[in-house]
Amino acid sequence: MSVTDLRRAGTALTALGLLGLAMVYGLSFFWVSTESSQGIVQRIFYVHVPAAWTAFLGFAIAALASGMYLWLRDERFDRTALCAAEGGMVFATIMITTGPLWGRIAWGTYWTREPRLTLTLLMWFIFLGYFLVRRSSDSPERGKRYAAVTAIVGATLIPFIHVSVLWFRSLHPQPVVMRTDGGPALPGDMLALLLTSVAVFTMIFAGLFMLRYALEGLRHQVDMRGRAAAA
Amino acid sequence: MSLYLRQVRAIVWKDLLLELRTRERLVAMGAFAVLAGILFDYTLDTTRVQPEDVAAGLIWMTIVFGGLLGIGRTFHLEGQDAALQGVLMSPAPKDAVFFGKTLANFVLLYAVAVLVLGVFTFLFGLEPGGSVWMLLAALALGALGFVALGTLFAAVSSGTRMGETLLPILVFPLLLPMVIWGGVATGRLLDGRPVAEVAASLRLLGAFALVALATGAVLFRFVVED
Repeated sequence: MSVTDLRRAGTALTALGLLGLAMVYGLSFFWVSTESSQGIVQRIFYVHVPAAWTAFLGFAIAALASGMYLWLRDERFDRTALCAAEGGMVFATIMITTGPLWGRIAWGTYWTREPRLTLTLLMWFIFLGYFLVRRSSDSPERGKRYAAVTAIVGATLIPFIHVSVLWFRSLHPQPVVMRTDGGPALPGDMLALLLTSVAVFTMIFAGLFMLRYALEGLRHQVDMRGRAAAA
Repeated sequence: MSLYLRQVRAIVWKDLLLELRTRERLVAMGAFAVLAGILFDYTLDTTRVQPEDVAAGLIWMTIVFGGLLGIGRTFHLEGQDAALQGVLMSPAPKDAVFFGKTLANFVLLYAVAVLVLGVFTFLFGLEPGGSVWMLLAALALGALGFVALGTLFAAVSSGTRMGETLLPILVFPLLLPMVIWGGVATGRLLDGRPVAEVAASLRLLGAFALVALATGAVLFRFVVED
């Protein structure tokens, strides 16, 4: 796919995703039934959970692509990792801002030593390090390697971080969709809206990812032309 | 002794000899540990908290801060006159270099960790009593995981413009397991609880150290490639 095609597809997907997001907002305010114990605050759920899913999707792609980059040294893997990590950062930021807002009313506290909150916050900082090593390296090639190493170490140790925080008692609700015992525990309309919202968030992520990837492709072309002109 | 072990030993010996001659890192880390202990002691209002209740967490944080001070300079001396290039061009595999560097750092950090434990015992009036060997074991396991990550990221940060300033941002998020399990184990042991209550924490600290060592050994070659 050429850079132009990628940019067009990215724009279309992002626009579609944003339309879908407006629909998700409408449905979550006016259509879906109100949760009985928490009341209307629970509606933030349809933003919080899909953002979390998308953030972890982005970080997982970034870590995998980083591994592939170190292995095969193909620039495209590094570009994939960079663009996915940026997307992951954006959605992780949404997740860690909506989480405390919800928690303040549902739990009575903005912050708690809760495993999933801690995990996301630390992921956020691990990927902050990812961007910092990238930027502060003198040669771009070295920055890419350092960043890949940072992402891989982060992904390897994440299970440990998670298990260690699980030691502390958890306030966070247990999973409601992917449960070990039987099917989803959500009423039909809530589940439908949640899954729609997850699909919409994934679409926005994919659209932004494609736009970013196309931009990196253009940057690379400019770079090559600059070098050719200088030679 | 196999060739690999001799190569690791040569690196460890070189690093420790350098440290023995200059004593720069050890003095810096040791002085930091003692001074941090003194300052921590005065941050506590003893009418509100009992120093022995919070000692375990402060011990680990002092080790982390003091340790990074020295570990961040692991590759500093070798950065001059391209000495690191010489080490890397030797027949020793890159992971042997990593293990050598990590072990040398471990010796330094462990010395500092024991000093920290001593300082806090002295200043905070702790009574480790019979659990002192278990405490030393907990410190050793925690320190091992810490130096493995610290050495890997010291190599990364020394190759960037930001240098050692970058190290805490890269290492701190990964240290949470060490701080939790180390803090729990140390706290309970200082409290005189039975060893069975900390066995799980010690095993997890050990597992963390092993994974950190393995990850570092695999990825180190990509950091020092050029």
